[in-house]
Amino acid sequence: MAPTRTIKNKHAAPKSGSKGGKKRSSTDGVSKSKSSKGKKPVISATEIKGRPNLPGLNKDKKKKQPVYTDKELGIPELNMITPVGVTKPRGKKKGKVFVDDRESMSTLLALVQAEKEGQIESKMMRARQLEEIREARRKEAEKKEAERRAELEQTKEAIRRKRKRGNKGKKDGQEEEDGESVKELAATGSKAVKAKKKRVSFAAD
Amino acid sequence: MRPLTDQEMKVVLDKLANYMSDLKSLIAPLEDGDRYVFRLNHNRVYYVKLSLANLATCVSRDALLSLGTCLGKMTKSGKFRLHITALPILARGARHKIWVKENGAQPFLYGSNIVKAHVGRWSEDCPEHQGCVVYSMADIPLGFGVTARIPP
Repeated sequence: MAPTRTIKNKHAAPKSGSKGGKKRSSTDGVSKSKSSKGKKPVISATEIKGRPNLPGLNKDKKKKQPVYTDKELGIPELNMITPVGVTKPRGKKKGKVFVDDRESMSTLLALVQAEKEGQIESKMMRARQLEEIREARRKEAEKKEAERRAELEQTKEAIRRKRKRGNKGKKDGQEEEDGESVKELAATGSKAVKAKKKRVSFAAD
Repeated sequence: MRPLTDQEMKVVLDKLANYMSDLKSLIAPLEDGDRYVFRLNHNRVYYVKLSLANLATCVSRDALLSLGTCLGKMTKSGKFRLHITALPILARGARHKIWVKENGAQPFLYGSNIVKAHVGRWSEDCPEHQGCVVYSMADIPLGFGVTARIPP
């Protein structure tokens, strides 16, 4: 009984399987009754209906299953056997890609050289700019120094002149008679007094 | 022994370009139709004639110690370090040069830096932190290095 049933159920099972679990029992019964009533036409009808359905259904399942498992199933990515970053594209060739032919090498070479030239050029530009700034600062410092020195020289010169003048005045005063020197003193007035004062201060320095 | 990959080749050329101005002469075809290629064996990069590299394929990787001129080695982190054996190649197309006086050659060869007092002459437009090749006054390449400058 069991093997015959299973044989008959083979035709019925896909039907029931496709429809649902609950109807299995009912369809089994129906198929039995149908087969018992008129075997040839009924079976042929069921077979015609069932056979094209069966392979079709199976194919669909086989096709859809890998699609679902790959992408559309809501499995978190970290829960895979292979880590996320490690998966490699399927169609790609394995292994390293070597650069050995002259064309690709020369293109790579030109690329690297151009990049390096740019880098060096920018470095040199920056160095030049810094050099210019440094030069300008140096010039400014030199100018200031020169001004300071000139001022110092000027004051020195002025002091020397005054000193000479003072000396001359002193000499004249010593050589000449009092009557003549009185006139000069009267003409110069306070200057002579100032000169005398400065002479004293200069001597102190 | 194998040719270099794209990434490795770029790293090597990048390093060489620090010292050399004319890289294209490296792979220019020779008179006899041969040319030079780069090969990697045991992490070391060799600059070797193609004909020799082809002959060397009959030696197994483990047995092959060296071939051609060793340029340097690839570090584990993927950088490239030049070796002193690359000096003749660098000296041929040096970008910046420094000539050291007689009294400075010996200290440099023993590992010291080159001081200003030892410089005989140098390429005028050489910027800071730039690779340069060091020559003796008789134009014999002694080594290579990176320029530095102490601001006045």
